[in-house]
Amino acid sequence: MKFLDSHVHMVSRTTDDYQRMASAGVAAIIEPSFWQGQPRTEPGTFKDYFNTLVGFERFRASQFGIKHYCTIGLNPKEANNEKLAEAVMELLPLYICKEGVVGIGEIGFDDQTRAEEKYLRLQAQLALEADLPIQIHTPHRDKRLGTIRTMDVLEDVGIDPAKVIIDHNNEETVKEVLDRGYWAAFTIYPHTKLGNERMVEILREYGAERIIVDSAADWGISDALAVPKTAALMKEQGITLERIEQVTYQNPLAAYGQSGQISEEDWSDTAGVDPAALFEGNTILRGGMDVATAMSQYRIE
Amino acid sequence: MRELLLDILDASAPGDACDWLRRRLGEHAAHFRRRPFYYDFSGVSRHFPKHAPVAATLEQLAALGEECPGFTVEGWDVFRLARVVLLEALGRQEKDTFLGTVAALLNTADLREQAAIYSAFPILPYSDDLVEAAVDGLRSNIVDVFDSIALGNPFPAAHFAAPAWNQMVLKALFINRPLHRIVGLDRRRNAALSEAVSYLAHERWSAGRTLPPEAWRNCIGFVDETIAADLGHLVDHGGPVDRQAAALVVASLPAEDAAPLRALLGPELAAAESGELTWDGLGRSLALDPGLNGSPVKP
Repeated sequence: MKFLDSHVHMVSRTTDDYQRMASAGVAAIIEPSFWQGQPRTEPGTFKDYFNTLVGFERFRASQFGIKHYCTIGLNPKEANNEKLAEAVMELLPLYICKEGVVGIGEIGFDDQTRAEEKYLRLQAQLALEADLPIQIHTPHRDKRLGTIRTMDVLEDVGIDPAKVIIDHNNEETVKEVLDRGYWAAFTIYPHTKLGNERMVEILREYGAERIIVDSAADWGISDALAVPKTAALMKEQGITLERIEQVTYQNPLAAYGQSGQISEEDWSDTAGVDPAALFEGNTILRGGMDVATAMSQYRIE
Repeated sequence: MRELLLDILDASAPGDACDWLRRRLGEHAAHFRRRPFYYDFSGVSRHFPKHAPVAATLEQLAALGEECPGFTVEGWDVFRLARVVLLEALGRQEKDTFLGTVAALLNTADLREQAAIYSAFPILPYSDDLVEAAVDGLRSNIVDVFDSIALGNPFPAAHFAAPAWNQMVLKALFINRPLHRIVGLDRRRNAALSEAVSYLAHERWSAGRTLPPEAWRNCIGFVDETIAADLGHLVDHGGPVDRQAAALVVASLPAEDAAPLRALLGPELAAAESGELTWDGLGRSLALDPGLNGSPVKP
């Protein structure tokens, strides 16, 4: 089975992760722009970060036979540094219409401040102008109200909920998100947020329509294999393969496919490529390491 | 040049995409503004098919080479061609606007955009001001970006100083790129490069590794005792293609200077001297796989 992990921060991950993801069947990934743990102090570092997302990270992924896409945006945490935020807003138009940019994201609320709302609104307008989907980060603190407030702002701007993927949902938020017509994504973290087992329960209750599973793997404790692992658990628990494929592949493809920048044929010729076959001298894949056997246990045939 | 490129694009891409591009060219000619130009340059990806190779006739390729020697669109996709057409139009702006816009584009370019920008360099004005950007682009480890400058592009041979040229050729060897596709390779041979190739060979041999046989093409005209000894090593320890490379170098020497080597290279030397064996043929026979990189083009 092929997977599309629609939320993973590969700039923080190693080549081991890429190898394992490729071996486990991850065909494509979407890397949202986010903060990097250490707050940035200069707009230029945002530019270089965006350049990495449309440049070197795309290349790095391709060496493992994985197609890399991204969403571009000003994250809510750093929206609170208004001087910086203004400069980043100036940069965004240069990136959002590039090839492989499948949305504006991740944007939304963190502390739910006035500045955060301002930049959520401005970026929602940008998405409207560029006709791009939006990837929403919902806050960790006061999540339920933050999620409702996010949807209120988006609807106020005139955004179609069908073009918005709301991420980091849990049992408390999913119902309203689905009822209002949004895509509901779930982040599977090993210790926090949502484990694989809770995800299985949510699927049983709500079905698979407009539900998406992602890893959101980043620089913290997280699991770049969360999507294939959750899929394996779902299979074990009797969820049909069709449903599993829907939430780990078809739904994110349909949601972000609205950008016109991602389609299945992009990876029909690369998925499942043996990374060892791509060895290219002085590049990422140094030395002739054996990768064929890695992590095939998570592959579903 | 523009009409020629647009003709080729017409034959390679859907009409509505080409119409869009012509409208935008008209707009930029009438009233150039940077921001819309950035959008159009990126926006090529929203109007043209993603994986469409450029279809140029032999006549068109010959005409391109006449207008700009060594310049070709072979192996390009329509994204690259459409962007090169936009850059050619940008080249008609005044110098500061042109250079500032090129720098800004490079500053925020994705992989395929970078490749398009470097591919356009041979047909852009103010070449001297672009050299540094091309040298910097070669520092990329992204194969497509490196290739867009080093292979099938006459800009480096025309404008690089010897140190930058030598670095480019050596890096091409390091990352296993086909040297026969470097424009001006023979014309830009020099003693320092020949010596560097020899050093590199010794390094590789000490490590029990080999050097791509095309490397020795850079040593023609600079065969001293060291290189002659290297050729002897190739003959004794190399594979069939190494022997061919040695024969091609030996064939370039006066027969009386190379008697011992000539004696060791019977059939290969005959092929080299008859013209049956050439550097380009040898390079093509290696069929180096570009593998996957930033923007794979489907056949």
